[in-house]
Amino acid sequence: MAERLYNRLLAIRSERGLTQAGLAELVGVSRKTINTVENGIFIPSTLLALKLARALGRPVEELFSLEPDQIGD
Amino acid sequence: MPQISDIELADRLSRRRARMLSALAILFLAGQAIYFSGPDVPTRNVDQLKVSAWLVWAIVLLVLLGTGGGLMRTGKVRALMEDEPTSANRLRAYSFGFWSASGTAVGLYIVSMFEPVSGREAIHLILTAAVAGALLMFGMLERRAHRDG
Repeated sequence: MAERLYNRLLAIRSERGLTQAGLAELVGVSRKTINTVENGIFIPSTLLALKLARALGRPVEELFSLEPDQIGD
Repeated sequence: MPQISDIELADRLSRRRARMLSALAILFLAGQAIYFSGPDVPTRNVDQLKVSAWLVWAIVLLVLLGTGGGLMRTGKVRALMEDEPTSANRLRAYSFGFWSASGTAVGLYIVSMFEPVSGREAIHLILTAAVAGALLMFGMLERRAHRDG
């Protein structure tokens, strides 16, 4: 079975009032990187996942999960 | 003229690259008719020029695919253009190019059992399949990566 990574990046970014470009600026990556992670097209490296979590001030497991129901506040 | 951030500039250049590489791949494929309308062995200057032009074109496209372009830009903009999704997309494109070339080679081997295929023709077709296949795949993946939602 194909595994996928669920993420709450869009929701948490919106909560923080950040645009994709704004978050990209904070993390030091391209807007495309944020877009592809949010849309589930691209699974980020551990390094990028940790950078995203740090930029948003949340633990990384709150941003990413293997099961959709594990993602929640 | 308003100043744009490096992120915005990299975004624009990356979108342009995706469109440009797709268009170049289609032009490269469409241009093959010119080369196969000539003689099997190029003896005239004009035929040799056509073969050389194809080879130069193929090498330029390979360099563009491998480097991602933007060589005149700052290191930061180039790094933003060569982000994690781009590297992943390039690897998938290389893989597709490999399978395109392998498929073409198998096809040519079968054809050669029934009619002669010159070495030059075989190399031409295999390299064309590899370059065009990889470029088309890279362009498609990059355009998808830029699409919102």
